[in-house]
Amino acid sequence: MDIIIWIIAGALLPWFPFSWIFNRLLVSAPGAWARALTVIVLPQLGLLLLLKSGAWYVLGQEMPTALRALALFTAILYAYRAAGTRDVQIWARFMATSGLSLTWLLVGLLPQHWDMQLFVLAWSIPAALMLIWAGVLTKKTGASYLGLSGGFARVLPRLSVLISLTALAATATPIFPNFFALLQAMESLPIIWMPLLLLVLLLWGWTVGRLLQDLLFGTYHGDAVHDLSVAGTWLGGLTLGVFALVGIFWGGIWIIN
Amino acid sequence: MGNWAIAIPFLPILSAVIIFVFAHSARKVAARISVIITLLTFILALIELTSYALGGFSRVEVIGTLWGSVWLDPLTLIMWSFVSGISLLVHMYSVRYMVEEANYTRFFALLDLMTATILFMVSAADLITLLVAWFLVGVVLYFLLGHDTNRPAAGRYAFWTQITYRAGDVPLWLAAFVLIRSYHSISLPVIFSRLQMYPHLDAFWGLSVPELVGFLLAFAAFARSAQFLLHGWLPYTMDGPTPVSALMHAGIVNAGGFLFNRFFPVFEHASIVLHFVFIVGLITAVVGSAMMLIQNDVKRSLGYSTMGQMGFMVMECGVGAFALAIFHLIAHGFFKASLFLGAGNIIGEARAHDGVPADPVYTSIVERRPAKPSRLPWLAAAALTIIVPVVVLSVSHLFVSSRLLHEQGVIILLFFGWVTGAQALFATHKMTHTNPWRLMGGILGSFVLVVIGYTLISHYFGHFLYPHDEEYQIYGAASINSVYFDVLVIILALLFVGAWALTFFADSSGWWDRADQGRWRGVYLALYALLSRELYVNDLYARMTQILLSGARRLNVMLRWC
Repeated sequence: MDIIIWIIAGALLPWFPFSWIFNRLLVSAPGAWARALTVIVLPQLGLLLLLKSGAWYVLGQEMPTALRALALFTAILYAYRAAGTRDVQIWARFMATSGLSLTWLLVGLLPQHWDMQLFVLAWSIPAALMLIWAGVLTKKTGASYLGLSGGFARVLPRLSVLISLTALAATATPIFPNFFALLQAMESLPIIWMPLLLLVLLLWGWTVGRLLQDLLFGTYHGDAVHDLSVAGTWLGGLTLGVFALVGIFWGGIWIIN
Repeated sequence: MGNWAIAIPFLPILSAVIIFVFAHSARKVAARISVIITLLTFILALIELTSYALGGFSRVEVIGTLWGSVWLDPLTLIMWSFVSGISLLVHMYSVRYMVEEANYTRFFALLDLMTATILFMVSAADLITLLVAWFLVGVVLYFLLGHDTNRPAAGRYAFWTQITYRAGDVPLWLAAFVLIRSYHSISLPVIFSRLQMYPHLDAFWGLSVPELVGFLLAFAAFARSAQFLLHGWLPYTMDGPTPVSALMHAGIVNAGGFLFNRFFPVFEHASIVLHFVFIVGLITAVVGSAMMLIQNDVKRSLGYSTMGQMGFMVMECGVGAFALAIFHLIAHGFFKASLFLGAGNIIGEARAHDGVPADPVYTSIVERRPAKPSRLPWLAAAALTIIVPVVVLSVSHLFVSSRLLHEQGVIILLFFGWVTGAQALFATHKMTHTNPWRLMGGILGSFVLVVIGYTLISHYFGHFLYPHDEEYQIYGAASINSVYFDVLVIILALLFVGAWALTFFADSSGWWDRADQGRWRGVYLALYALLSRELYVNDLYARMTQILLSGARRLNVMLRWC
């Protein structure tokens, strides 16, 4: 029974190959806001399923090595695949999958429920924001692909700043919460497994570098576009600011645990 | 020292916030705020340093409840004064230099953030603060280097820097977790005191915890300080604004030397790591200096010069001269900052005077100077070249402390001092001058002054940084078997003297001209191509990236982008 729950949960709180279903569900959501909502809700449902059914503890005792290997393999695979895309929407999905899969490293541990929910939100929130920015970009330029026009820093400075900051937040940059979430995931691993998680960190650095290079640099070749409104920029900035503040405080909680 | 010392690294953050929120469209106001607050930071850092020198004591100040703490020890206070000093120079220079650039206010805010991040990095008293600051330096530097978003090259080279820095973050993370697991604390002073009690805890692959951590820290330092194979990004950071190049080459790239000093107690129990560090530093110093010589772009030449200097700094750590590495990074920081900030003038000067060597006939007839000026007799020059540096260096160190001359690390550094001094005198001898004795006398006088000044300053500086003679322990850790050491020094000395003699006689008998035309021409050209393509290191990385990206794209297509 626990194994069946594990498999169902794998489509909500993704691990490969069920991460494919998770991504498919995200793609099929109608519009950017729906995708943002989906990336927040699905992993929480997966987590609740594991916690409420008791599979969280049983699986952690029965197959800790398999779960560890699956989590790390999924995180590495999707981080690597994110480097191969120049589409903001696909990038956001892959990074969300890569980060969320790390939750499986904590299966079997005995943290507070709300702490686990925060761990999952640490990956979901930047992904949701990124999916919203991808929607805004699609509305303004016809696509969220960065390979054709490029050089958005000059024509869409406000949106570019928000996308850049969100991309940094999605890749565990301090002082955002997922930096501390990553520290927590590291803490759960035996030292011998740590290099694999650090490979994920390295790949995230590579993917975010490539995304920013495509987004910010070069000369813009597309049609004239209007930037995000000042109010929208403040709202996005404020959300990221609050997210960063939570990170600072959550960093302390991780050390207590 | 008051508790307000903790405010010092927060001041530049305050400046950045004020600029971002209130002054992002007021260019003059933003620049003024930034310069004034950096000046204030520098003054406060100097006050802290002075009050410590007048009888203060090391202490840890906690900012957060569980992480976030600064360690106010001599290393922090020296680095705070140095970093804020360099940052102040760069800020003042940028006020006019960047005035015609877009995003002027953002540039100052980012400079402030960078200053704050480095101040936190050098003062971190716990591993989490260190990791946060170490990581953020790479992020902020990326945006500073990529300031001009119109130029794809700026983005490309900023990315090279960012990914190399990330490669250096990874071993630091692992080192931090090995220390946390082994000594059950995130506080650096606590970890170091427990490490002194239990230095031989086993880790992996037959290495003890200090040895494993030492290797990991060394790799982190190599990435930051552009050591060989992780150096490709450094010469290309010239595509960023000149003030950022100055800040980077004067301050940020020195992080490796700082890291060795901060984790001094780890390296005390990791002899094998120090030997490895010495070899990497030596290779970097040689490769960096060789590359510097063949550059035809003044700023890239300075970039490779930095690489060579960083190699030398890391080599100093490898022989146990940790305090000297800090003195070196400060001295190098100031002279490299002035070189970068003056590079524009040098380019202007080169445009005005082409530097073509004078024609002997013109010199003789029009300028009425001897067509063939004389040189010193070769035997006198050889004796001066070889003996004078040995005497000057040995006497100056003997004067400071006779105990120093028994340390292998000091002898190695004296050896390099001798090679450098002798090379300078040898180059002087090759110069033609109407009064060669006067020329040689001038150079000898400067050499003696520099050596004595450097020896005295570095000695007292080392005593300030490590007041309990900890330096001798690290010299001991860096030592090797004395027979091997003596043989090594003798072989190296013979090698250098032989090479000088060969150069001298080949030069005077026109051997180079004949070799250039003969069968050695192919070898010469191949060597030149190898160096001018920068040993193909960047080409190799570019190819690897292409292969990896192509694999990622195929995988994405195969899995239908889900």
